Order: sequence, then structure tokens, then C-alpha cells
Amino acid sequence: MTKPSPKEIKAMTDVAGVPATPEVAERIANSIGPAFEGFAPVAGTLPFDLEPASFLLVQTAKVST
Amino acid sequence: MSAEPALMSLVAVAKAIATREVSSREVTRACLHRIAEWQPRLNAFMAIEAEAALAAADAADTALAGGNSRGPLHGVPLAHKDMYYDAGHVVTCGSLIRRDFVATTTSTALQRLKDAGTIRLGSLQMVEFAYGPTGHNVHYGAVRNPWNVDHITGGSSSGSGSAVAARLTFAALGSDTGGSIRMPAHFCGVTGLKTTVGRVSRAGAMPLSQSLDTVGPLAQSAEDCALLLGLMAGADPEDPTASTLPVPDYMAATRGSLKGLKIGVPTAFYVDDLDSEVARVLDETMATLKKEGAEIVKVELPDQRQLTAACQLVLATEAAALHKRWMIERPQDYGAQVLMRLQNGLAIPAVTYLEAMRWRGPALAAFLAAVAGTDAMLVPVAPIPAATIAESDVGNSLNAEAVIQRITRFTRPINYLGLPALSIPCGFTKNGLPVGLQLVGRSFDEAMLLRIGAAFQRATDYHQRVPKAA
Repeated sequence: MTKPSPKEIKAMTDVAGVPATPEVAERIANSIGPAFEGFAPVAGTLPFDLEPASFLLVQTAKVST
Repeated sequence: MSAEPALMSLVAVAKAIATREVSSREVTRACLHRIAEWQPRLNAFMAIEAEAALAAADAADTALAGGNSRGPLHGVPLAHKDMYYDAGHVVTCGSLIRRDFVATTTSTALQRLKDAGTIRLGSLQMVEFAYGPTGHNVHYGAVRNPWNVDHITGGSSSGSGSAVAARLTFAALGSDTGGSIRMPAHFCGVTGLKTTVGRVSRAGAMPLSQSLDTVGPLAQSAEDCALLLGLMAGADPEDPTASTLPVPDYMAATRGSLKGLKIGVPTAFYVDDLDSEVARVLDETMATLKKEGAEIVKVELPDQRQLTAACQLVLATEAAALHKRWMIERPQDYGAQVLMRLQNGLAIPAVTYLEAMRWRGPALAAFLAAVAGTDAMLVPVAPIPAATIAESDVGNSLNAEAVIQRITRFTRPINYLGLPALSIPCGFTKNGLPVGLQLVGRSFDEAMLLRIGAAFQRATDYHQRVPKAA
């Protein structure tokens, strides 16, 4: 997974309806870059039928008594 | 009874009022006296409602004299982070945008404390919209650490940490989305409980991230936190995400010992690059826990950096979605740093956000497998004690972003996993700043954390130390 470039971020913020200036887009790219890099080993590796609600199943299955 | 009622613990003052050893008015006046003394230096309160508090205290005393107690916290004055809706009161959320917002409902957590008999002292300062870890607030000023007013309180529950530490309120609600209860507890030397996602209703609490937000108390001790959690936890028809699991007897849990318990300490990440004084406190705490009968065992965890990254992706996206309307209509009314953090969420693709959400279950399962056989994990809240306000001011310090990244490193993984964590005061630096450590437990096992925390606090006095007025 690659982190979005300032140019891509500019386009995304435009689509979101909260346009960023090129300077702000550059700042955002620098700020969120580490999160994309940190998550890169996970991105694109998850099984097809895994859904977010699996979190609740794990959470309640592990209650200590 | 303490010579000064405001210095009593929550549990002690509630008992003293119930037995009419002290009146609610005396207690409320004692708190207001300390507030008047400390507020100019700390900026911990957003609003101080002295007359209304005294009137409510008088009503509580009259009711009690007539044999009518409202509950286990009858007549106890408290103040909370200014993000809990309280019908008829302004709830600023630490922001300019909500400076005049008057709530029309009362949050479930707050209502349950009111139903137990608490009275309102006012409201406490916080980071704008709870989106920042240091305690800075460009609209209302930084909250200051009572142990050294040049240092940060941590955030976003900055007023809660500062006010409880200075004994201006017996306890305070905070909220923890990325560390916002545990960091102020650590930096200010109080006990703070981040609850399991779903343990306490979030109805009427200002949202920051629906997947990560948790409601919890800051107080003097684990016992105080247990009392508050027992009153607040449980299902709520106003919040379908609030768990229907039974609420344990948390106060009973605090009477347990450490004998036979296994406490895990990680071999990496949470013990890397620690300030020498935080490392010393960790060693001393492990020694105390062992002396009290616990076994300390090493645990090897999955890569925690990935959890931090996933937490950032979820938090940034959900916060941006919540604030989008105001980002369009009123961008000038945000503080620059908070607006910048919100803008970050606009640049995260939906697929990436959903991947981060989908991974949460497997990530929690892997973490729980790694700590299997232990009763809790002990780690620092942050690798450093409280930084100065100047060095962590993003607008004025080149080093600030590095400080912020450092102090949030050990809290965000726990938020992503939705686990409970209890921050307890465990020592002090040579310069007199508190150091807290966090006990991390299994989902919905706050009782175990409170048991360990209370046993540790019976063996130590760090939680009872009070900063001195200059």
C-alpha cells in the first residue's frame, strides 16, 4: 500500500467537498504518511469473508469469569 | 476524617456525608475554596457554579436530615469534562463552535451519577473537541499541571486530570479515544480508567470516533473508579452500542489480593526507548507487585506499530466525517491544530478505513492469544513524564510534533483493540513529576484491573500525595 501523494490528496479533498490548498495537501500527506506505512503490512492481506463485526465476536468471546 | 474534606477520597467523602460526619455544604465549600485558590494557576475549570452548587448541597443536607438519601453519592460535589451533555447547561466541548451550545438532554453516564446523588460544581476544561493529547487549547488556554504549572496535563481530559490531582473535585468523567484519560492520569498523578468499548453508554457524550470512544472516570484511587464504574456501566436503550453484559461488583473486586495473579510485561515496544525515570518506576512497580504476591511474566506481543497505524486511520476518518459540516461552514472557528488533525481524515480512502475496521477482530484475537495465561499486562502510559507546555506547543515549538507522537505511542494500540486499561500513579521523577503506568486487561474485565490497582495502592501511597499550592 502506498501513501497518497499531495496531488492525490488535493483531489480527494475536492471530492469530499472540503477542498485543501496545495500547501495543506502537502501537510496532510506528511502527517498521515506514517499511518499508511504502518498499516501497509496488513492492507490487502485480509481474508475475503472477514467483516468488521468480527471484532464484537472476539470481544465477547473472551470475557473472563 | 481528613482535616480538609476536599482531600478525602470519593469513597471516604461519600461515606462521611452519608453518616452525617460532614455535611454536603461543608464538603462543597471546601472544594470551592480550593477551586478559588488553584483555578487562576491551573485553568482547570471551564465554568464554576458556586451558588448553584451550594444550593444543591443545602438541598442534599435537608433531604438527608429527613432520612432521604438519593444514592451512594448523595451530596457529593463533582465536575466533569465539558463534553457530557447536561440539560439546560452550556456544553462547550472545549470549542468556539459550541461556546453557546445548551444541551437539551443529559448524557446517560452523567445522569446515572446524578441519580446516585451527585451535585454539580461546574464543568472542566478539555482539548477542543477532545482531539489532542497535550492539554493545549487555543480558545480557552492551556490547562496546567498542578505538580508544575509549566508542564502539560496531557489531554484531552486536561481539566479532569488537573482538577482531580489538585483535589478540586473528588472525581471527574473523562473520555478516552486515543489515550485521553490515561495520559492526564499519568501526567497529573491520578487514577484513570479507560473502559472497554461498550462498557459505559456514550449517549449524550460528545463523539469523536464512534468506534473508539470510551467513557471513564479519573479519581484518586482504583476504589473510587470502581465505585463510579459500578454506577455508570450497563445497557442503555439510548445507546445500542452499550453492552448488555452483566455489570460485576467492582467494589468487591477491589478487595482482592494479588496472590496467584500473573501480570505480563512485554519484551518489546512498550519497554523501548523509555525515559530512565519511567524505566525505574516500571522496575519498582514490578518489584512491589511481586512482593504483594503477583508473578511477573514476559509476554511477546504482535507488532504494536500496526495497531497504532490502524487506530490513526480509524480515528482520523471518523472524526473528519463527524466534523465535515463544520469544516465546510465554520473552518475559521477551529483552532489551527485541531483543524489540521481533522483535515487528515479527508485523505484516507474508504477502502483503507474499512480494512482497518475489518482487521480489528483478528488483531484483538492475536493480542489475546499473546497474553493468554496472564491476568493483566503492565506497561507505561507514555515513555516520558509530562513535557513542558512550551516544548509541546505545536504552534511555537519545532519539537512539538515529535513530543506528541511519543506520548501517544503506548495508548493508541489499546484503543484500537477496545480493551480496558487502568492508569495508576506509580512514582515520581527527581523533579517531582508523577509517573503512571497502565494495567491493560481483557475485554470487559475492568474488575481485574481494579483489583490489581487497589492492591497496589494499599501497598503504596503515590495516589495519596497532593501537590502543594505555590
